[in-house]
Amino acid sequence: MIDLAIIGAGPAGMAAAAEAAGRGLSVCVLDEQARPGGQIYRDVDRAAGTLGAILGPDYAHGATLSGALRDSAARHVTGAVVWAIETDDAGFTVNYTRDGASAQIRAGRILLATGALERPMPLPGWTLPGVMTAGAAQILLKQSGIVADRAVLVGSGPLLYLIAAQMVRAGTPPLALVETPARGDFAGALRHLGGALRGWRYLMKGAGLLAAIRRAGVPRYRAATEIYIEGMDRATAVRFRAGGQDHRIGCDTVLLHQGVVPNTQAARSIGVPHLWDDQQRCFSPVVDTWGGTAVPGVFLAGDGAGIGGAKLAEVAGRITALAIAAEAGWITPAERDRDAAPLMAARRAEGAVRPFLDAAYPPAAAPIADDTIVCRCEEVTAGAIRGYAKLGCTGPNQAKAFGRAGMGPCQGRYCGLTVTALLAEATGQTEDETGYYRIRPPLKPVTLAELAAMDAPHKDAAE
Amino acid sequence: MGTDYVIIGGGVVGLSVAWGLLKRGHTVTVLDGDDGSFRASRGNFGLVWVQSKGMKQPRYAQWSQTSAAAWADYAAELQDATGHDLGLEQRGGYDLHFSEETLQETVDQYEVLKAKLGGDYPYEVLGHNALRKEEPHIGPKVVGAILHHQDGHANPLRLLLALADDVRRMGGRVLTGKTVTDVSKPDGFRVTCADGTIVEGGKVVLSAGLGAMQLGPKLGFRAPIRPQRGQVLITEKLPKIINRPSLIARQVDEGGIQIGATNEEVGLDDSVTQTGLSGLAAEAIAAYPILGRAQLVRSWGALRVLSPDGLPIYQQSAEMPGAYLVTCHSGITLSAAHARLLPDWLDGTAAAPDLEVFSEARFS
Repeated sequence: MIDLAIIGAGPAGMAAAAEAAGRGLSVCVLDEQARPGGQIYRDVDRAAGTLGAILGPDYAHGATLSGALRDSAARHVTGAVVWAIETDDAGFTVNYTRDGASAQIRAGRILLATGALERPMPLPGWTLPGVMTAGAAQILLKQSGIVADRAVLVGSGPLLYLIAAQMVRAGTPPLALVETPARGDFAGALRHLGGALRGWRYLMKGAGLLAAIRRAGVPRYRAATEIYIEGMDRATAVRFRAGGQDHRIGCDTVLLHQGVVPNTQAARSIGVPHLWDDQQRCFSPVVDTWGGTAVPGVFLAGDGAGIGGAKLAEVAGRITALAIAAEAGWITPAERDRDAAPLMAARRAEGAVRPFLDAAYPPAAAPIADDTIVCRCEEVTAGAIRGYAKLGCTGPNQAKAFGRAGMGPCQGRYCGLTVTALLAEATGQTEDETGYYRIRPPLKPVTLAELAAMDAPHKDAAE
Repeated sequence: MGTDYVIIGGGVVGLSVAWGLLKRGHTVTVLDGDDGSFRASRGNFGLVWVQSKGMKQPRYAQWSQTSAAAWADYAAELQDATGHDLGLEQRGGYDLHFSEETLQETVDQYEVLKAKLGGDYPYEVLGHNALRKEEPHIGPKVVGAILHHQDGHANPLRLLLALADDVRRMGGRVLTGKTVTDVSKPDGFRVTCADGTIVEGGKVVLSAGLGAMQLGPKLGFRAPIRPQRGQVLITEKLPKIINRPSLIARQVDEGGIQIGATNEEVGLDDSVTQTGLSGLAAEAIAAYPILGRAQLVRSWGALRVLSPDGLPIYQQSAEMPGAYLVTCHSGITLSAAHARLLPDWLDGTAAAPDLEVFSEARFS
């Protein structure tokens, strides 16, 4: 039994692991990727050297975290796909697979640093080949140096600008930036500017990105509505309305993005309560200042605990590591408070810009057309979900039983928020009243042979 | 008077009864729970099954046979009305055996039952080679199987959907998100919900699954039921691998292989466990080795609604005449009987099926 298992080797997980191991705890980090970094610093040890000029200095910062993890006493299990976490009186059992083999570790405490997912952006044509999320395009860039050709970026949020700027730097600028926020969103967000001024660095960065995009001559369309992706076998154009005119941009690739939301699957699977966050338009786990949850021994840090970005995740990871170290008796509460004080201050500064960003770049507000697919795995349309509401479905679990939305390999990650929103809208309930999918193992698909290998009696019988 | 019947419980059992009553021209109000209620209707294995049932009570075997025989016509009617394909297949089903001894023991028991049923128990024993002709993917550890020709399976979620749809279409009033807290009978019945909703009716059917544990005594029933957990797995969608269903695995109409189920006495805990899932996976691979390569995409735990002897309970309340307890473990198999035959029993017509052996008197 180790002291702490950390799920996820992004900024929160890496920082927490180094901090906790430095305080004396036995720590194991489990992560799906072959190298540390998470999504934001994906493959940073390798790509910071080769692609650093394109990806920028913020990305390269991740190498300090992966270095600290490597230099710490924490064990880092790469390629580990966690499919179930179980709790008992003594602690936690984390079930995972690696290279086709099953394994378990036991830990006294658990830190979920599972990061964020891109918010799905269901619109007509989004399931066509040639359409992907902007985040997926960025992974291609970080991992393989591939830049999407003849691409149109559609959606909202700072990541859209970052990717556009990176594409410009890579010499393959996007054909256009089609943005959904209404003009009032940005104006309304200005009331948060008091906070944002404290986060001025981000705003300057945002302005710099936009300037680079403008210099490259990438056209920007604001407050776009009625967005359709055209194509028979694959995406061939984006149609939309903006500035009182209809537009059509022929393209090979459409990159969609409307912000990120916490990846709550693991936390939900072990009963951590979640509440709807109206400002971020998503469910977030209920955590205290230290990342503690209502489930004893379960902690959360980083975007998985509420979207804040990479720098905030790093700081939160260290704060939570201190809390865990104190709870486990490796440091005193006084030491925890002393060492956490500057981190708490840094967190406040890093978080200042968040209300502005959330208000300025909300997800698209237009209602989803009835014939638009919302569950890609099982091809369930928005209209079908609305129909299940008429058949008495007050929440997504009955709707899932009725129409299979959320039953596919993605475990509902990419339709959950949409289905809850559609049902809430149809029933007049709040999102909290509507609820979310009951998340159960496997958190990620696992083969039956891998499962069966853990069945001790049968294994003996076979031998 | 609000409606002829108030049905407490909007799962497959309650909706089947409601559907049958609506067909008879009754007015019906169904009170259903919320999204997170324990719902055997969402978690069951989907078998329409006869073999192994009623080994100690032939009437239960017969009742299951009656329902299984009524299923095809019932499913067709629901399908025609709603357009939902219930995925019914009744081409027989297996009880797979990994040892000659258990196979022979089961056959001996079936012979006794068959005699009591006057010979109406069409099954055959397939040795490994004969079974392999039917099921090319069967594994070497399977020594044989009992193929029972009255067995089959359906898509239980599509059944739930079709019933929810058709009950409304026929004018049934279904209120969801309701927790019934009290039932009284000042004159007619008065059913009170936690949110203040009050529904009045001439008769009440308590078909609330495990909810009857609490509500039953309030209506004068013993309702000696308990939860028993079953964990179930389902794989990614695959090409045809399994021809006929068994208690171990079946290939559902969408293509996934459904694997079940544990029998665990753990109270009102419907979680899944690694040991449960691993045990089921190992058994399924022993039966069909090719499944080792299949990806598990979902698992769930659901709670069976069990009486002490595993048989259904059909009981009219002595304390509150006009209140009926309808509860069973096999709500899918019995759905057709509940829809077609229970209305006569509830209405007290001459055509009512003889359900005496399923009364609560057997628990005294």
